[in-house]
Amino acid sequence: MNHFPQAWGRPRDDIYGHYNSSYLQTANPTQHTQSPVVTGTSVVAIKYKDGVVIAADNLASYGSLARFTDVKRLRKFNSSTVLGFGGDVSDMQYLDRLLNDLDVKENYSHADDEASQLSANNLHTYLSKVMYKRRTDFNPLWNHILVAGISSESEPFLASVDLLGTTFSSPSLATGYGAHLAQPIMRKLVPDEEAVKGISKEQAVDVVKECMKVLFYRDARSMDGYSIAVISKEGIEIKENEKLENQSWQFAERIRGYGTQVN
Amino acid sequence: MAGMFAGPQEMMGYSFNTAPTSASEPRQHSFYPYTDNGGSTLGISGADFTIMAGDTRSTSGYSINSRHVPKLFLIGGEGPKNKGARIVLSVVGFAADGDALKEKLDKEVKMYKYQHGKPMTVSACAQRLSHILYNKRFFPYYVHAILGGIDEEGKGALYSYDPVGSYEREQCRAAGAASSLIMPFLDNQVNFKNHHIPGSGEGHDLKPVVATPLPKETVIELVRDAFTSAVERHIEVGDGLQMMILTKDGVEEQLLPLKKD
Amino acid sequence: MTSIGTGYDLSNSVFSPDGRNFQVEYAVKAVENGGTAVGIRCKDGVVIALEKLVTSKLMKPNANKRIATVDRHIGVVSSGLVPDGRHFVVRARAEAAEWRKIYKAPIPVHSLADRVGQYVQAHTLYSSVRPFGITAIVGGWDSETEVPVDGQVGSGPSTGAGGKKEGGKHGGPFLYMIEPSGLFWGYYGAATGKGRQTAKSELEKLDLAAGTLTLEQGVKEAARIIYVAHEDSKDKEFELEMTWISSLSGPTKGRHEEVPKEIREEAERLAKKSLDDDDDDEEEEKKDDKMEE
Repeated sequence: MNHFPQAWGRPRDDIYGHYNSSYLQTANPTQHTQSPVVTGTSVVAIKYKDGVVIAADNLASYGSLARFTDVKRLRKFNSSTVLGFGGDVSDMQYLDRLLNDLDVKENYSHADDEASQLSANNLHTYLSKVMYKRRTDFNPLWNHILVAGISSESEPFLASVDLLGTTFSSPSLATGYGAHLAQPIMRKLVPDEEAVKGISKEQAVDVVKECMKVLFYRDARSMDGYSIAVISKEGIEIKENEKLENQSWQFAERIRGYGTQVN
Repeated sequence: MAGMFAGPQEMMGYSFNTAPTSASEPRQHSFYPYTDNGGSTLGISGADFTIMAGDTRSTSGYSINSRHVPKLFLIGGEGPKNKGARIVLSVVGFAADGDALKEKLDKEVKMYKYQHGKPMTVSACAQRLSHILYNKRFFPYYVHAILGGIDEEGKGALYSYDPVGSYEREQCRAAGAASSLIMPFLDNQVNFKNHHIPGSGEGHDLKPVVATPLPKETVIELVRDAFTSAVERHIEVGDGLQMMILTKDGVEEQLLPLKKD
Repeated sequence: MTSIGTGYDLSNSVFSPDGRNFQVEYAVKAVENGGTAVGIRCKDGVVIALEKLVTSKLMKPNANKRIATVDRHIGVVSSGLVPDGRHFVVRARAEAAEWRKIYKAPIPVHSLADRVGQYVQAHTLYSSVRPFGITAIVGGWDSETEVPVDGQVGSGPSTGAGGKKEGGKHGGPFLYMIEPSGLFWGYYGAATGKGRQTAKSELEKLDLAAGTLTLEQGVKEAARIIYVAHEDSKDKEFELEMTWISSLSGPTKGRHEEVPKEIREEAERLAKKSLDDDDDDEEEEKKDDKMEE
């Protein structure tokens, strides 16, 4: 019989082995995200003469596991901006809530004045400061975000911000694998700002859909169900349950060295 | 009493006896807060002008983020477009730090004007920039900054910095990815390094050519040559050349194409 | 008040021997001045209207709004001390934001009324504060459909466990009025401010409990009632400030917004017309009397 109250109900080391109490410690250094957990893959977007087209698939992966298949990674912010999120889904949700609060507060100060609403470029600046602050605190929000919308000057606006707070803008943008696979396709259509003025909405939608298809062919963390949004002065059209069309896997026959085809 | 709960040599051991093990060991951080966005900048000061230049490519590894991300910024002008600014800052390295640094310096130069009712001199701005960089020396702005303006005597002024605020006034300076390609060219063409007066002697007796301030047109040509050459040899440099020409009349901006390959 | 000078009115948190808190009663007095405010709970939305007295010709017309938005779906108006009303709104917004932080959803109108009610009541308990010199009308719309929680990424299961029970009634229009004591009740029609008695008797005529009045009719009635209630202080100029919250299928899509200018002006035109008609009737009656003589 053991007479120490501390020992009552405790596993004895001589029977159960040394107890690993490390998890009980609370005096650890504070821990921040060191890697993303549930992730979304590429986001692609392109400007056209009257607005911007943006798309992302509806998959959230847990490592290599296709974990959630109806995750909407295009998020609407007021009537002029859509955000496309790549990277960690929980950080995306945090940012979505943060921006929702911002929108509620904005409404308090100027509710019925369209001109003073936050525009796409305002939102991009705000987000870039949030992201840069978090990386500076060594507590990054693990996302690469595309901001698509209409600027304060009523022009199409497209820019990006990543987990380090790095920002850039271009006639077409893509995150993750899209930067390698989709950007060359889109840049052929819009090499510079001048070319944007000659692109119609249909052309922009077509090239984005083509990019989504190429990404589905080659990116293992992608899916054929996707969301696509068109943002123009007329407002936002967003479709969240699209399926890739006219797929052709003929190219696969020419791939050698995988599966049953050894040579 | 304490002996009863001591170590494994006792007959019985319990979890509460032992000190924590692995959890309190130093943790490995896998997040790295910097990246290199490539590109190059340069600045050359003349007798009554300063020229700042930088390419407009932004990169991540082998990818081009964008073909138009300026590295030159007007500091301390009026309004969001910095109208009437007389100081130019160029930053190359980690672009997010560059933007943060630019905004901080711009804010402080504007505040100086609001509080003192006169614009900041270039020399004062140069020292302020040094302090801003030095203040963050334990978590530096990962940038190579160059500051250009016209000094109180009307001469071209150019200051270059390391990431933690060490700075000096120079005639010319190249920074960034292709600095090792451009700087020797500038040494030779601006400061006439390795130029000698023909027939002035043999070996060490050869007299060096004394550097004299170059005219503006010559310097603009030098800048364009420096960048077209750098573009050929460095993959992170290209797309566009942004140039700012500072004189007593203000700042003139030029944008020229560079090869996009 | 007969008890002035008895000492029981100097501090909050002190009852008089007959069980009254004079500070609260004085606060009620403060409310009795200032513009009339009304709220009408219609079958498909809520209207809030305010008789904003023009205190100076130097103030910009249609500026200095007095009806505030809380979150996106609630409107608040108050009569009494304007700064107290502003503070009330600040608190209401903080409560709504706090609710969102916890539940990731908009605060139900009742919960907001309850929380600000508690806050107002707390100001009757301590000697370091004075009660709110306002009576506030809080109107809003709770979503009648399932709303996604803030940051929701997927649609959830379409069948099986996790689905929602069908046929249950959710949400709808809600209207509350909170008094300086912290007391609040839900109303079909609420009125406060100088013309509240007139306004209340007009509201009673509408039979709001029947739930047949539409939002469009409500807007017209609210405008008319403000004009009727203004009759007693006709010498003063005023502006009609009016907001509404409709159902998701209605004009504001569940949001609290200002009534569009055209609709408001039409309502005002009708309001003025009905007043003129009443005057005419009275005159006609007088004429009839004379005829008889």
